[in-house]
Amino acid sequence: MESHTFADCTGVAKGFPAGPSFLKQRLDALRRSQNPDGGWGYFAGRKSWLEPTAYATMALHGEPAADRAWKLLSSWQTADGGWRPSEAARDAGWGSSICLTIALGRKEWQNPSRSPALQKSLSWLLETAGAESNWFLIAAHFFRGGRDFSLHGWPWKPGDSSWVEPTSHALVALKQAAQHYPSAKLKDRVRVGEAQLLDVRSRDGGWNYGNAEAFGFDLPSYPETTALALLGLQEHRDLGKAFDLADKLLEHTPSPLAGAWLTITRRLHDIKMLDINANPSEDLMLTAIEALAAPEGNYWFLKTVGV
Amino acid sequence: MNEQDPQKRQPDPQDPAGSRRDFLIAGATSLIAGVAGFSGGRDERSHRAVPALPLSAKVSPVAIVKATSYSHDLEGRMMEGILECDLDVRGKRVLLKPNFVEFDPNTCINTDVAIVAAALNVFSTMGAAEVKIGEGPGHRRDTYAMAELTRYRSEVPDFDRIFVDLNRDDVSPIQNFADRKEFFFSNNVLGADLIVSLAKMKTHHWAGATLSMKNYFGLVPGALYGWPKNELHYIGIPKAIVELTRVFGPKSFAIVDGIVGMEGNGPIQGTPKPVGVMVMGSDLPAVDATCCRIMGINPFQVEYLQMAADRLGVIDEKRIQQRGENISSVRTNFQLVKEFSHLRLA
Repeated sequence: MESHTFADCTGVAKGFPAGPSFLKQRLDALRRSQNPDGGWGYFAGRKSWLEPTAYATMALHGEPAADRAWKLLSSWQTADGGWRPSEAARDAGWGSSICLTIALGRKEWQNPSRSPALQKSLSWLLETAGAESNWFLIAAHFFRGGRDFSLHGWPWKPGDSSWVEPTSHALVALKQAAQHYPSAKLKDRVRVGEAQLLDVRSRDGGWNYGNAEAFGFDLPSYPETTALALLGLQEHRDLGKAFDLADKLLEHTPSPLAGAWLTITRRLHDIKMLDINANPSEDLMLTAIEALAAPEGNYWFLKTVGV
Repeated sequence: MNEQDPQKRQPDPQDPAGSRRDFLIAGATSLIAGVAGFSGGRDERSHRAVPALPLSAKVSPVAIVKATSYSHDLEGRMMEGILECDLDVRGKRVLLKPNFVEFDPNTCINTDVAIVAAALNVFSTMGAAEVKIGEGPGHRRDTYAMAELTRYRSEVPDFDRIFVDLNRDDVSPIQNFADRKEFFFSNNVLGADLIVSLAKMKTHHWAGATLSMKNYFGLVPGALYGWPKNELHYIGIPKAIVELTRVFGPKSFAIVDGIVGMEGNGPIQGTPKPVGVMVMGSDLPAVDATCCRIMGINPFQVEYLQMAADRLGVIDEKRIQQRGENISSVRTNFQLVKEFSHLRLA
């Protein structure tokens, strides 16, 4: 059996230090661990996957390593415009949103040879929606309340239901795309997508991974999904309770990944961060997201303005 | 006990998928038995019979071992149960698959770390060529933070070296999983000679009970199918459980942590239920049916067990060779949510 090691991700994340070494350590780790095909595995020495490759591409933006990575990601775009999650997989999935965000951050709309691919990607995202919205569930909501199934978000895979994380990434990509490819359909998908996120908000003010309750029991918020939902709702300045909760979650979460996402979200909402020390990790996806979260990191890739 | 089998399933001539599935089950079982020398404690005579359903003449041993706490001679009790089931692990690459899906300090969602640590030692002692631990939590993205919270990282020796995050491992496809032409699994799952389902004895608000079979939802890679593994919901939870058992059951052994189980609104928000047992065997449906009886649940009313019965294992009490303790001596009725009150064993 194959094996990977994972030695050092125990740093409790409460924000990241302002010193350049934090970012440098992570970028160096990414540079060292890039695969020959240009991508990154979830762990060093493993096959390339879209998710760590995409975040590393953002983190290393402007370097040749990022260009090589983008070349690999571009080769994974499917004929219908989406992106496959890895070389092995055939069907496009939720990572398509992140790739569209990268394409926009790299100003691909200015490149005549790449612009059609970008527009296909946008079309794919506009046509992809959660599959839960059948008439029975909509009628059940009408009579019983609870989650409004007429609101479409985005699924992990086409054909599945809407969930917080893929919906948030799709909203970021579409809001950025709106600056260059505005349309009524895009505006509507953003409006409904945001409404869907707000509809599944947990009673405590944050977000679980897709529902606020199950079988009549409230579901608690998770730090990582709360951070991602706030990423998708950057223009909403009326989410004070969510930020109060995010502060508490950031204080107590043992998850460096959740800490990195919460940090990015807070930076994008112009909220000051406490600085602490955290050790770099052998988890390359985490390393890349932490690099994005650093004060000098490229978290601007995920910045949106209103549609 | 008064058990009814209201929907005893017979082969459906209109269901070519079922016929193909039966053929594949028989083929896979023979292949594993022949190539890997893996009998899984099963009665070899059942392979020669030509019954109405593939396993309708099969008899399976299931061991119930008392263990009143997580600290008292757990390895000895576990070894005792494994030997009762005639399992031979020598030279095999073993993947331990615990159930850690979420953390709440006020209840007991996950397979206790003591069970995992004990299994690691026991399977190594019994001569396994390699023992790894793998899990792909269905809700949370940060598997290692979950491992931290559940004390796996601090209390399982060398955890970071031997653990595989099944959500983010490299993958390969298998053909024909449920109605999907191909479905991907971790290479560590596909490459293991023996997968040990270290499940938790819990009620489940969608499936009725989550035991060794349902535990295999964690084999599905989140990097492809998301958090939760929503693809399995669209396949249908009972059908997905059965399909995972069809694919991986022939190279499986189950150890269900019932020392403290979970009742009520499981698998996350239920309440602890001390039972003081571990339940073990190579026939996953037989193990799960036995657990159900211990929990006061009628296994014939649990949809995925109905579907698996006599195709992937046995659930009829008369054809389960109970070893160790008797069910009646450890039976502890679990509280059931209203929607599943019909599962109660009379």
